Order: sequence, then C-alpha cells, then structure tokens
Amino acid sequence: YRVGALEFRGVHCVGMPGPASKRRVPVSQAGMTDPHQLFDDTSSDQSRCYGAQRASGDLGYPTTTSSPQADFLAHPVSNMAVAYGSSLAAQGKELVDKNIDRFIPVTKLKYYFAVDTVYVGKKLGLLVFPYLHQDWEVQYQQDTPVAPRFDVNAPDLYIPAMAFITYILVAGLALGTQDRFSPDLLGLQASSALAWLTLEVMAILLSLYLVTVNTDLTTIDLVAFLGYKYVGMIGGVLMGLLFGKIGYYLVLGWCCVSIFVFMIRTLRLKILAEAAAEGVPVRGARNQLRMYLTMAVAAAQPLLMYWLTFHLVR
Amino acid sequence: MAFTLYSLLQAALLCVNAIAVLHEERFLKNIGWGTDQGIGGFGEEPGIKSQLMNLIRSVRTVMRVPLIIVNSITIVLLLLFG
Repeated sequence: YRVGALEFRGVHCVGMPGPASKRRVPVSQAGMTDPHQLFDDTSSDQSRCYGAQRASGDLGYPTTTSSPQADFLAHPVSNMAVAYGSSLAAQGKELVDKNIDRFIPVTKLKYYFAVDTVYVGKKLGLLVFPYLHQDWEVQYQQDTPVAPRFDVNAPDLYIPAMAFITYILVAGLALGTQDRFSPDLLGLQASSALAWLTLEVMAILLSLYLVTVNTDLTTIDLVAFLGYKYVGMIGGVLMGLLFGKIGYYLVLGWCCVSIFVFMIRTLRLKILAEAAAEGVPVRGARNQLRMYLTMAVAAAQPLLMYWLTFHLVR
Repeated sequence: MAFTLYSLLQAALLCVNAIAVLHEERFLKNIGWGTDQGIGGFGEEPGIKSQLMNLIRSVRTVMRVPLIIVNSITIVLLLLFG
C-alpha cells in the first residue's frame, strides 16, 4: 500500500484532496496481506498534501506582500511560533491517545467497527436466514482473527449498535402510533434494553466462569453476539406496525428461530470447540454441561426478543 | 417497563451485600461451603461447587472495603433524596 500511495502522491497533492476512490484500489488488492490495517490510511497523504500546500504558499507570500497579514506570517518569529504551537498540539494529542487507551480499549474496539457494506449485507442475511451457511469458523491470520470486513463470521459491533438505536427509534414510532408516546419513554426504553443486555452479559460470564470453560470468547465478542437479536426485534415491530399482530407474530417467530440457530452454530464453535479439537476422550458430564449452557444462552434470545417487544404492538 | 439501569445497580449492590454478610464460621462451615473445605483436588476440573466457593470467598475478600464506601454513600444519598 505504501508504494501505491507514493505513486499517487504527485497526482493528488496539487491543491485539492484527491478522490478517495483512487487510493482504495491498492488497499483492496493488498488488504489480505496486512491484517493489522483495519482502515484505509489517509493520514500520510493528507499531511503530505498540507505540506505541499503550505510550502507553495510560503514561497508565494514574500513575492506578493501587499497586506500586513502576509508580513506577519513571513516574520521568522511567527514561523517559530507556528512550529512551536503545532508541536505542542502534537504532544497533547499523543498524551490523550496514550491515556485514553487505559480506560476504553480503543484499538480493540476499532477491530469491531472495521466493516463495509458487503459485510453488513451478508451478515444481516445470515441473521435472518442462517440455514444454508456451511462454514462458521472465523478465519485467523497470524494469530489474530481477521477483521470483519474480510470474513462474514467475525463478530462486529456496528450492527448491534445501529440495531439498538434503530430499536429505540422504532419503539418510539410504535408508541407514537398508539398515542402513548412521551419523550422520557424513549429514555426508559433505552435504559431497559441496556439493563437487560448488561444482565445477560453478566449472567453468561458468571456461568462461563462456573463451568470453567476456557474460551477465547471475550466480553466484547459476547456483547456483539447478544446485540444481534435487536435486528429481529426491529423486523418484528415494523411488521407489527404494518400488518397488526399476525404480522408481528409471524416475523418475530421466524426471527426467533433464526437467531436461535445462529447463536447455537456460533457459540458451539466458541464454547465447545476446544473439547472437540483436543481429540482427548471428552468427559461426558462436562461436555454435556457446556452444551446445556449453549442451549440456554440461545434459548434466552427468543425470550428476550419477545419480552422487549410485545408491549409495543397492540 | 420499569427495569432501568438504576434498578440493576441497586440489585447488584444488594446482591454483593448479601454475599458479604455470609458468616464464615456460623454458616458456611455448617453447610460445607467453608474456605478450607473444598479446594482439595488438584485435578483438571474444579467443579461447580468449588468454583462457587472460590467466587464467594474472593467476593468477600475483595469487596469488603469498597462495599463500606459504596454503602455509606448510598445511605447518605437515600437519606437526602429518598
């Protein structure tokens, strides 16, 4: 990618920020060879552009001195001040970047948002119709899981976050059509859904700890998987608004079964994987317990989907 | 739907308080959940009961001081604001 960027530099930095599409071509070709490159890197081109612009501007100023501002900017002391100010800003930015990683794992979160339209489309299709999908393994590349935009099985946080917000808005819409709406109800819906999500995450983490499952299922992964049910909930409520209770029950039933199958197939690989991959004769009771845990987690999804939406459709 | 984040916080505080008041000698030993009574085997599977006992012991040890602080704050806030 770096070679491609250097090649394009002459074309882009004449004076306008060039079209981004030209920069994307080398990335997509070289995408699979650089797993740590989650997003297109536009910073280096931009700074080079600014540097070229500023250099040409500074060269131009002494020759067209007709205004006091140009004199002020050409003064060597103000040049130093500009340099000092920009270095201060860079230091401050570094400090913030270093410290914010202690509270919010920004780099880890970035992985979950590295999605593109094709991935979102395929994932939504998978959430509604998971029956024909064969391979549920997440591809790994040099010990790290591949970013979601390269593998449809990888969990992401974009769809759950968007679906959550859409659910709040659709709930407001549904309440509005029944003349039960007031603005604080929106906050109440959001708080309630978040509280259920937190409770689910804590319950699953507790049961994973009690059953001593050694998985690579991180908390954020778990939040991502549990957030996928909002998609089905949105579908159900929208159908309920359009076609009444029958439409709501039909679509909700379909989405409940799909989410159930989706969760079982995904969690089976995470929770039960190492038991099957070890090749050791599996202790029956422990494996059975893990299977029960997977089924319980998957069965809780339809229940919660119904519980969080039935009061919205009358 | 009155299930809010605030009620979740209250429930969590009450649960942690409940775990913290389990008396070691008078209660846990009598039902066989004492700290010295279970962690015998060094096999691979600790089992659910010993994991639970571990969890109770660690919660009681770790949360003792923070619970004092959080309880005091909660008492003061509830007295002031109801």
